[in-house]
Amino acid sequence: MTRILALVWPTLRAAPHDGHGSHRAPDEAADANPVVDVPAMLDRLDDLSPRVEAVDRGVALVDVTGLGPSLGDERRIAARAVALVREVATLPVRAGVGENRWLAVLAARLALTARPDPSVPVAFHAFPAALEATRAVLATLPLALLPADPETRQRFALFGLTAMGELAALPRSAVGAQFGANGERLQALARGEDPRPLAPRRRPEPLIRRVTFEPPVEGLGGTGLVLRRACAELCDALRLRHLAPGRATLNLDLEDAPALTVELTFPEPALEPDWIARLLIGRMEAASRTRHLHATSSEGEEEPRVVAIGLAFDRLSDPAARQLPAFQVQAGRWEELRWSLERLATRFGEGRLWRARTERPNASLPERQARLQSVGREDQP
Amino acid sequence: MFYTLTDVNATATAVRPLPELLESLRAKGLRRGVGPMVGEAVATPSPSNRGAIPSGFSALDEALRTGGWPRGSLALLDAPRGTGATSLAIRSLAASQEAGGIVAWIDAAGCLDAAAAERLGIQLEWLLVVRPTSALEAIELAGWLARSGLVDALALDLGESPDPAGGERHPGLVVGLDRLGQLLVRGRSVALLLTGEWLRAAVARVAAVRLALEREAWLAVDRDLVGQRIRATVTRHRWALAGETASLDLWFGEGRRIDALLPPLAVPREAAPALLPVAAIAEAEPEEQPGLRVLSA
Repeated sequence: MTRILALVWPTLRAAPHDGHGSHRAPDEAADANPVVDVPAMLDRLDDLSPRVEAVDRGVALVDVTGLGPSLGDERRIAARAVALVREVATLPVRAGVGENRWLAVLAARLALTARPDPSVPVAFHAFPAALEATRAVLATLPLALLPADPETRQRFALFGLTAMGELAALPRSAVGAQFGANGERLQALARGEDPRPLAPRRRPEPLIRRVTFEPPVEGLGGTGLVLRRACAELCDALRLRHLAPGRATLNLDLEDAPALTVELTFPEPALEPDWIARLLIGRMEAASRTRHLHATSSEGEEEPRVVAIGLAFDRLSDPAARQLPAFQVQAGRWEELRWSLERLATRFGEGRLWRARTERPNASLPERQARLQSVGREDQP
Repeated sequence: MFYTLTDVNATATAVRPLPELLESLRAKGLRRGVGPMVGEAVATPSPSNRGAIPSGFSALDEALRTGGWPRGSLALLDAPRGTGATSLAIRSLAASQEAGGIVAWIDAAGCLDAAAAERLGIQLEWLLVVRPTSALEAIELAGWLARSGLVDALALDLGESPDPAGGERHPGLVVGLDRLGQLLVRGRSVALLLTGEWLRAAVARVAAVRLALEREAWLAVDRDLVGQRIRATVTRHRWALAGETASLDLWFGEGRRIDALLPPLAVPREAAPALLPVAAIAEAEPEEQPGLRVLSA
């Protein structure tokens, strides 16, 4: 028996949610809603259960199976989870518990309309653990609660289907013949079935290495060897854990000058200490050159000495999860090539490397049929 | 007249007539003027031991004797304007992509039409477009890409007009081209070089393969020009005998379904002289007007 707790806060979109989001990273979710610090909220929920999934910017799922003996009944667990979330942001959070992710999210939505229980200071609703009892409750609910597109919804209405129980009672083959695979999926939801497992997030933990120079090092050139060694050590530590970083941040503490920070986002999670060090050194020199030029033009100062360097790897992920190159030869080689292109961009500057994309193949003017996008920014409009 | 030489593949010394011996040596792809030493083994250039990137035309692959553009070579497409050098380069890059490669177009001239390239078979997803600011930077960027060993073929379009930064007299250009040749060998990539007269002499000195393109005929359906027939002559080849020619049909198609019907319908028509005076073109017979159209374009 699995019990899943869904927490829903007001950023939940208007359309019905089936408990399976757009797989956006928590960082992106935080960017989309700057008021709510979603990663911090998820970190708090880690104290409750190790299995937490950020479904979308307004929904989080927590596996609460087996927590009863230590934390009390499901109402108390939900109240505790809501309290943890409210430590980060004082939002009207609703909670729901069900056998699977769909039932949990549906319960949380129903908690809005349910009359609040005076004993628990949160909007809470739970489906019973027995599937038959759950189906009996679901049968009375309207079909509008299912995550269906408007066209399917309209066809349901044309067939006279208004309640989940009516859809659940139909033969599966008949639903498949009329509504296709999507209809079969909706019917399974109406029956309270959802085979999708919880996919717990991996808690982001940056890896940091800091080296202090005593006495301070003259110029940036002297830090290269230390930086390479720091990269190698961090990569070795991550390799043992089968993880790879997606971003590196280098921070240089300078004597009598503001700190210099260089950030490098990798084309893919990588464990290549030599490449990472080279690119960081290239960017560090470019940033230093720019600052030095400004400084010399105004004050005529010399290059400051380096007191300490700090190297942080974050956005850790599994490097073995990439399978596309196994099916498409060019995909893997292109990812390798992007490392070289990063170096080219550092050496020659921006605006040299492009990829073409067909935009309007039937446009009359050739320049409107395709357009160029800077390499590394293909996702941007 | 008989000479006593050691055949490279024979274990015993044989006495063979000179013409027969020369023919056998030519078949092995020996360069003219550089004969084998007595008893020296001769490496036969072939796709198996050198590797080649297909040109997209089987006739040209055969004429090159290496199964395509030999890997590690800088190839100069020696062609007047409008004789299909760009089309040939695009077809070659497309053929390289079909074989699983990644290609790059270094567009110093700034005139790449990506949509047209896609219609000719290029997969834009695996095409890197490089926009350098000068010819010198274009050569340097090509060297960087070649050194990575991840780009199989690249087209280097340096434009028809001289580089305002110094043109052919710029000493960095020749040095850069020399360096590019070395990096191509190291990275086993192929660079197809398109340029005008201003740089052709300098490139010709370092190019491993030189291909002269000449319009042989127009291809027409009734009064409509639908393509051109190009004679490609291998005028230089570092690893095989030069002098072979191939006839290539380049269609002005745009990837439509009807284009597949053109080859059986098209009739070769003698090409108009490339430098025909405008007055002469105007007085030409109606049958020669297709040449007039293309020259005016």
